[in-house]
Amino acid sequence: MIKNGFFFFVGLLVAFVIGWGGIALGSHKQLGALAPYFDDGEGSSFPTRPQGVAARGQLVYADLGCASCHTQQVRRPDFGSDKDRGWGERQSVARDYIHQGRPQLGSLRVGPDLTNLAGRKPSAPDAEDLLKLLYTGSALHPSYRFLFDDRKIVGQRSESALRLLGSLAPAPGHEVVPTERAQTLVAYLLSLNTSYEFPEARPVAPAVAAKEGAHK
Amino acid sequence: MSSPSNNAEVTAVDTAGRWPLLLLLASGLSWLVISGVLALVASIQLHSPTFLTDCAWFTHGRVSAMAETSFVYGWAANAGLGLGLWILGRLGGSPLRALNWSVVGALFWNAGLTLGLIGIATGDATSFSLLQLPRYVQPLMVAAYAAIGVSGILAWNGRRTDGTHAAQWYAVAALFLFPWLLIAAQSMLLWSPVRGVLQAVTAGWYVQGVFTLWLAPLALAAAYYVVPKTTGRVYPSYEFAPLAFWTLIFVGAFTGGRHLIGGPVPAWIPTLANAACSLLLFHYLVVVLNLRSVFSAAGVAARFISVGLIAYFVSGSLDFITSFRGVALVTQFTYFAQAQQQLAVYGGISLLLFGAIYFAVPRLTGRAWASGAFVQGHMVLVLLGVALLVGSLGLAGWIQGHALNDAKVPFSAIAASTRPWLLAVTAAHGILLLANLLLLVNFARSVYSVCCSCSQAGELAFRQPSTMEAPTS
Repeated sequence: MIKNGFFFFVGLLVAFVIGWGGIALGSHKQLGALAPYFDDGEGSSFPTRPQGVAARGQLVYADLGCASCHTQQVRRPDFGSDKDRGWGERQSVARDYIHQGRPQLGSLRVGPDLTNLAGRKPSAPDAEDLLKLLYTGSALHPSYRFLFDDRKIVGQRSESALRLLGSLAPAPGHEVVPTERAQTLVAYLLSLNTSYEFPEARPVAPAVAAKEGAHK
Repeated sequence: MSSPSNNAEVTAVDTAGRWPLLLLLASGLSWLVISGVLALVASIQLHSPTFLTDCAWFTHGRVSAMAETSFVYGWAANAGLGLGLWILGRLGGSPLRALNWSVVGALFWNAGLTLGLIGIATGDATSFSLLQLPRYVQPLMVAAYAAIGVSGILAWNGRRTDGTHAAQWYAVAALFLFPWLLIAAQSMLLWSPVRGVLQAVTAGWYVQGVFTLWLAPLALAAAYYVVPKTTGRVYPSYEFAPLAFWTLIFVGAFTGGRHLIGGPVPAWIPTLANAACSLLLFHYLVVVLNLRSVFSAAGVAARFISVGLIAYFVSGSLDFITSFRGVALVTQFTYFAQAQQQLAVYGGISLLLFGAIYFAVPRLTGRAWASGAFVQGHMVLVLLGVALLVGSLGLAGWIQGHALNDAKVPFSAIAASTRPWLLAVTAAHGILLLANLLLLVNFARSVYSVCCSCSQAGELAFRQPSTMEAPTS
């Protein structure tokens, strides 16, 4: 097969197509037409489509590479500590992502998982918490000051200006205002909420731990 | 199996292809240093998150994307292609044709990569691992790659020998398959994106394809060519080599799903990856068996290839072990996965390429390396740096993985317990940067000496192979 140049190339191509067809096309056939789930109890379909501002915020999340430290995939309760850390009551399933333009599953957890950031119990962060973290950073989180304008107060103080105290406070007569990018990013983060139910994501009893068919 | 004519160690193939191939190698080594700087910045940010954060260009997500992109598409691609073309020319038995295509392709490839890295820095990254180059340079990369590859395919089709050589299979497979892979990934992820998690599945397939259908074949082509040259012996167990080759090409891409264990994808994808990883062990085993004579050979090239082979084998075995759910429970989403990746691309691919570069450059320039001390320094520092990098990332990941699985351990405690190892990672990146600077300077001096004495440059003189080797200690 290798000595004959023609068949060598055919072999290479066949190998490539089998891998591509098996994985990319095979999963596409299985999940490509996945539809939202209509919940009779709630009277609406899930997942909901993200609002425009959140969809734009996902682009900011992607371009800053937030996914290099944060995942957005909760593993099932008996596999890892995801549930115990309050990241989500149930595992993430393929249906959660069908409306996302560019799902940010991530592969490294330097920071916490963000799948269900806005639905966390008992306390989910609010916009002010997130903006402050983005502006000031912490020992564990970088600051993103380029997402904010430090500007002179002209006329009235801006409503969206951050309330900063102590050494972080801007110079007198100045205010720190989140740019549009910061606001869309935070709107996106606050849209991350998977606290609805899917039949395929109900916790499995340990006796039937196998996940086969979970995505039907 | 037959090796090509050994009468003259510097052949017409070498002198004809000298400048195009040296251009590819020079680009590769320059990108290696650039990616080293970026990797150093990214690794500092992991233990000191406020480092360089006031500038949007140096946000951790962007810097790490740039480091990874310049390493794979800058260093490994340029160096691997340069060596691949050289090997196809030598084994084809006649000087490489269409090298002007390769030069134009290399210029456009590197221009596209530069543009793409600026794009990543300014926020146009695609957010797919190893496919971070912005959409607008992607078609250019395909065209430039095809142009570089033309002369390799011509050398294969016009070969004068009856039999073929394992190095040729691997080199041709890499040249031929990568454009298909890149086009398929671009169409399914960038031009007409598939829905939801299917993007993650496709991206995982692409990342694995970059390794098993492109970088690993390029590095193995180099190893299969250089090893018998340095040992003077035929491969043992060579009859298994074709099967090992086809195993890698057919099965390799299926192992990509191992990163999606427990994720929101159909369970058959990680399960299939687990089975594929076990089949692929056959490939790793045969490669080591075929090339095992290198372990007892002397010389810088042989040392690099020995360590590279061990790293390649260990990385394949670790892929298999961590594709089990019980192990992935600890290693997934941690620095351990990064350690595995570094073991594969730095320990496996890069060390094999270094070995082949130490063998090829004296034959391309027609004279020995400019500085033996620099060669020694590079070898010691690189081996130390890779061991420290992989070891400390692996330990950091193991600690991190166990801590993550205990919900009572807060992230601040995880950061505190991994910090010493992350500092060691930074030190490793510093050592590697220094080492690769030595190699780049030594390479530049070696090439410069050819430019400045053109009287001898074109000569086809017989040289004792031993005079081309850098001195070993």
